[in-house]
Amino acid sequence: MQPKTFALCLTAFILIAVIDLIRRQKMSFKYALTWLVLSAGVIFFTIYDAWLRNIAQWAGFALPSNFIFFLLLIFVIFSSLLLTLYINEQNNRTETIAQAIAKLDLRIKQIEEEKKKTTH
Amino acid sequence: MNTKILIIIPAFNEGHSIRKTLEEIQSSFPEADRLVINDGSSDDTEEEALKSGAFVATLPCNLGIGGAVQTGYQIAYERHYDIAVQVDGDGQHDPSYLKNLIEPVQEGRLDLCIGSRFLDKHFSTYRSTFFRRAGIRFFCHLLGLLTGLYLTDPTSGFRAAGKKIIKIFADYYPVDFPEPEAIKIAKRHEARIGEIPVQMRTRQGGQSSIRYFATFYYMVKVTLAILIDTLKKKK
Repeated sequence: MQPKTFALCLTAFILIAVIDLIRRQKMSFKYALTWLVLSAGVIFFTIYDAWLRNIAQWAGFALPSNFIFFLLLIFVIFSSLLLTLYINEQNNRTETIAQAIAKLDLRIKQIEEEKKKTTH
Repeated sequence: MNTKILIIIPAFNEGHSIRKTLEEIQSSFPEADRLVINDGSSDDTEEEALKSGAFVATLPCNLGIGGAVQTGYQIAYERHYDIAVQVDGDGQHDPSYLKNLIEPVQEGRLDLCIGSRFLDKHFSTYRSTFFRRAGIRFFCHLLGLLTGLYLTDPTSGFRAAGKKIIKIFADYYPVDFPEPEAIKIAKRHEARIGEIPVQMRTRQGGQSSIRYFATFYYMVKVTLAILIDTLKKKK
């Protein structure tokens, strides 16, 4: 199999998998966006590989493959940063919810206590 | 008008010591309300605390000291308390000092009053490791350098806060190892901060949240957090 065909098949598989995950509501569009953009980009550059060579040359890379590895690294770093942000956001939400539950718990206990006092 | 005082006691698996702590608080400072923040304990902390007649707010999962203390400040703010006092649930903080701790805040001289183990040299019963003392000294100098406020015990969790601080801490309170960073935040809001001498006892139960390799994380995290806080807006 030619590398070009192999890359196309793999990317098409990822793209279809991500779209299917969105369709089955397993992944929200917000989180799928980076993967969709990445897949589209890879498909574009696989088909129009002359563009990739030109951009690599313009950016100062001797080999287009080095340029691809560089882009991959940037993507991994960027997505890790994004995931850390998402985790942090979830953590803050969990904390706020837990605190709200604790405050409700206190209120319920006090209402029950008052109820007990009035019935006795 | 009477001053409304809330004593916040964060507790995580302190079932064997919490009742004694609460009873001591009740006998030395009966006019204050006692609120235990049960930080997702898996033991009988909640039952034991309820038996002594304290308010108990139970968190559904363990948030750590910062999240638990912040819950206490939020309750103090929402219920319009004038002063909130933090006391550890492990019996380390001696409730007989509560009056001295609250007094400067009640009289309006301070916004945040911290109980210091090292202010009075005669109180030598508190034993600590060399590394812990070195760490505490480091934070004293770091905070002093950045804020001009030289404290002797910035890691002490025995503190009384007035209305101004209650609002600030209800809005935002650092997550882990929060004490020195909380001072920096309070100072950024131009709070008047001071210390009174207290004696602390060895822990009656539970485990310190700072152990072994966590000490390294503690030092790095708190230092960075304090430094980053200097980049935040004044108010």
